[in-house]
Amino acid sequence: MAKKILVVDDSKTALMMEREILEKRTNYQCVTASDGQEAVEKAQQELPDLVLMDVVMPRMNGFEACKMMRQQASTREIPIVLITTRGEESYMEAGFQSGCNDYITKPIDGAELVALLQSYLGE
Amino acid sequence: MNDNQSEASGAKLSGADATNDLRLVAARKRLAESRGQEDAIEGLREIVANFLGSEEIGLLRVDQTTASLQVFWSFGIDPEKYDLLLALGAAGLERVMGGECHVELAARDHSGAMAKVQAFVPIRSANQTIAILAILRLLPQKHGFDGSDMELFKLLSDEAAMPLFGATTHAKPAADGTGMRA
Repeated sequence: MAKKILVVDDSKTALMMEREILEKRTNYQCVTASDGQEAVEKAQQELPDLVLMDVVMPRMNGFEACKMMRQQASTREIPIVLITTRGEESYMEAGFQSGCNDYITKPIDGAELVALLQSYLGE
Repeated sequence: MNDNQSEASGAKLSGADATNDLRLVAARKRLAESRGQEDAIEGLREIVANFLGSEEIGLLRVDQTTASLQVFWSFGIDPEKYDLLLALGAAGLERVMGGECHVELAARDHSGAMAKVQAFVPIRSANQTIAILAILRLLPQKHGFDGSDMELFKLLSDEAAMPLFGATTHAKPAADGTGMRA
């Protein structure tokens, strides 16, 4: 069965690109959410194999969503990769403190993203 | 650009070229699916932030009757303090109005510090520049523009006028020197 990735971004453009990369370059199944709150709900419903999530989003940001997923038994162990425009060390540290497993910066390099996902999910 | 679309719709892709194709497909789709001007502007901001790596952007509108430029929209900069026209310069303005992209590898940003790169992209309609997209300071992890960015500039130049301003983009092939050049 195909591994499932929950892709979370409030930017329609980023979501389109991330979907395109996953659909054209991998065999993973893709489900989407457009903010942190929806991501927490979808993660509980869909139980994805990995969450790929933007940080700056309305309603609930990626850090908060990450913390909430870590507090729920059903989503505690799901690998979470955060994506952001900000690459400063302090910002990345905040991401890891929220419970994420990995962190990548925009602009996204498709090959780098696929390699990172495969390191968690295999091909 | 239909070649990109057809390639992207094929089998699993790999490599940097494929990533660039997917980026162009996503940008084109986002612009084409814009619901009104406000959404098109948001789409432009998203494209520049996500694919070109800048969160300091301006859009100058060309007033064809007075032959002047006015700030139409900006993001991440204070247009009261930052003179986009000064940043573009007379030579740059001439190039962009002629349809070429103007990229500066080193320029002063609005704080007076040296910025690594900035780009000015003509938004074209019917062989005329009707607006100029200014892409200012890049994100720290983005070190410059490459060939794939130039392809994206060309796409924005050719296809953003309609969603942004409702202007037709039907134009003759670039026989009048409207080709893009860094």
